[in-house]
Amino acid sequence: MLDIKNLHVEVAGQKILKGLDLTINAGEVHAIMGPNGSGKSTLAYAICGKDGYEITEGSITYNGKDFLKLEANERAAEGAFLGFQYPVEIPGVSNMNFLKTAVNSILKYKGEDEMAAVDFLKLVRAKAAELEMDPEMLKRAVNVGFSGGEKKRNEMVQMAVLNPDFAVLDETDSGLDIDALRIVSKGINRLRSPEKSILVITHYQRLLDYVVPDFVHVLADGKIIKSGNKSLAMELEKQGYGHLGIDENAA
Amino acid sequence: MTRKNHFDGSRYAKILYENNQVLLGADIDWLKELRQKAMDTFVEVGLPGPRLEEWKYTNLSSMNSKTYSPLNISDKVDTAVQSKIANACINNIDGSKVVFVDGYFQSDLSVMKEEEGLILSPLSTYIKSHGDDAKALFNVTREETSLANLNSALMTDGYVIHVKQGVKLSHPIQIIHVASEKSSNKALRNKNFINIEAKATAQIIESFIGVDNVDNWQQDVTNISVAKKAQLEIYQTQLQGNETIHMDETHVEVAQDADFKHYSLNIGSKNSRTEIKPTLNGLHGNVDLCGAFLGRGGNNHDLFTHMKHLVPECESDQIYRGVLDKGGKSAFQGKVYVARDAQLTNATQSNKNLLLDRDAEANSKPELLIYADDVKCAHGATVGELDAEALFYLKSRGLDRAAAKSLLVEAFVAEVYTHVAIPAVKEKYLDLARAWLG
Repeated sequence: MLDIKNLHVEVAGQKILKGLDLTINAGEVHAIMGPNGSGKSTLAYAICGKDGYEITEGSITYNGKDFLKLEANERAAEGAFLGFQYPVEIPGVSNMNFLKTAVNSILKYKGEDEMAAVDFLKLVRAKAAELEMDPEMLKRAVNVGFSGGEKKRNEMVQMAVLNPDFAVLDETDSGLDIDALRIVSKGINRLRSPEKSILVITHYQRLLDYVVPDFVHVLADGKIIKSGNKSLAMELEKQGYGHLGIDENAA
Repeated sequence: MTRKNHFDGSRYAKILYENNQVLLGADIDWLKELRQKAMDTFVEVGLPGPRLEEWKYTNLSSMNSKTYSPLNISDKVDTAVQSKIANACINNIDGSKVVFVDGYFQSDLSVMKEEEGLILSPLSTYIKSHGDDAKALFNVTREETSLANLNSALMTDGYVIHVKQGVKLSHPIQIIHVASEKSSNKALRNKNFINIEAKATAQIIESFIGVDNVDNWQQDVTNISVAKKAQLEIYQTQLQGNETIHMDETHVEVAQDADFKHYSLNIGSKNSRTEIKPTLNGLHGNVDLCGAFLGRGGNNHDLFTHMKHLVPECESDQIYRGVLDKGGKSAFQGKVYVARDAQLTNATQSNKNLLLDRDAEANSKPELLIYADDVKCAHGATVGELDAEALFYLKSRGLDRAAAKSLLVEAFVAEVYTHVAIPAVKEKYLDLARAWLG
């Protein structure tokens, strides 16, 4: 599904990713762990096409398509979703209006008709209920005045409504209490299926107790330095990044 | 000193002389006298020049070589203008529709509904039917600007809305001013009076529309009184042609426990100047001024407010948003005056501007003159670009750049109209903003 080869990324002239390789097949859940500043978020942004993340070398191929030639919105329409570490507040735009515009933009890209208002309303209400979101919050401006947990829950509702084939979740677990973590994990696990893939980026092993990955990779200084299965995450939790020869304070 | 800061306006004296028979009340002596006096006062001062602080952002020097004379009343309104009027009306609102074409009331195109306790009349009729009352309206002493004097001297018509004590108008009154192609090189001047007596309420929807590529000058002055416990809401939209100079000056007296709300949306014209000057002169009065101005391709919008708190315990809020695209310019000048006795005043003012292009300009000048010591006065002014993080967030959810941009700009503008009480008016504001965004 997603094939990243020898990826080099610069941000404001600074080299962040320095030759990263990663292949994710349909149905797989991968976790990327690593210390702060190792390039985890940069990877998420590079995959989803944020401006200012310059690809100087390498390739990202998604379902056989050269992802680097596509705008961020086209990548979304092709089925990629980014769960933000810090979801953005958008005053004046209601969650409902935002989701409707997003769903219809993607349908338009695919050359399909807009969704009927009634069907859309049903879909959003159902997804919000599954993720235990108060329907009143759908009327409120996107993320404005939401707590950290509510923002992440909102990300999960958006993901459930847009139903992507591939999701990158950038530290979706950061700053969450145990209840919020449970909801977020539920959101991720509900997406899990043999046709879909997920890339979980996290600093801590905690989330991986709820979302059990098929593969775990350790990112350090812009490269994947070790890959394994879920036991690698346990090992890191016990022994820290230091035992892999990574200076956690270097960044 | 006046010589330095003002442009000479003596040529307008000739216009008055030449048009005395055309102008409003040619056969009414007191009005002719009033006109002459107003003209003399205007000529003494002249047109405001760019060296006057208050006129720093609207340069009238291009008008200096021109004389905008009044039009004759037009007996025939062509179908193109009629369809423009129909478009400007909000159809699902019952109630009166008062139409002015090129500065004159058009009874054929208007719908005047009678209502108990309401006097709704064009000024041209009112000065005949209510001679003494009309005289009284003009006799109120005001601090007149030179332009207000010019308006008095050369006005062709206007409207009078008088709501009697305790009367709550059943429907909003719609007022449409249209400038046709005949108004090329002409001035359209209306003088309006709104009097809301104690405990009465009224809503007025006022639209200014015009045609592109017609060099004309619309200059209206409205004097308003909102009496004790009365409420007045005004909803303005300005969609004048791209060569129009649009000026609208509003003076409001707000009495005890009275409530005045003024909403505006400025989109059209080459130069638009909106002046709103409320005076809070009774305890617990409230004023809300809300508006947006959208400019590109040679539009210059100048929004000037002067909020006067003369007595204690009044509240005023101002919220203005500007969106400037390529070639658009704007200025917000918001003055708040709090007199020494006006303790426990609560006054806020917010002006945020969004620049969509590097070739766009927004000026913001809050001016607070506070002479009382126990007051709350907050003000904020910003000029910025669209938030790149928000744009990426929307794009990451599938919105293309244009859709993401429209959604953000629309939200920015919509904030102003959140509390608009008439749903059809709110919709109209948002539709016009969306249409401007394209």
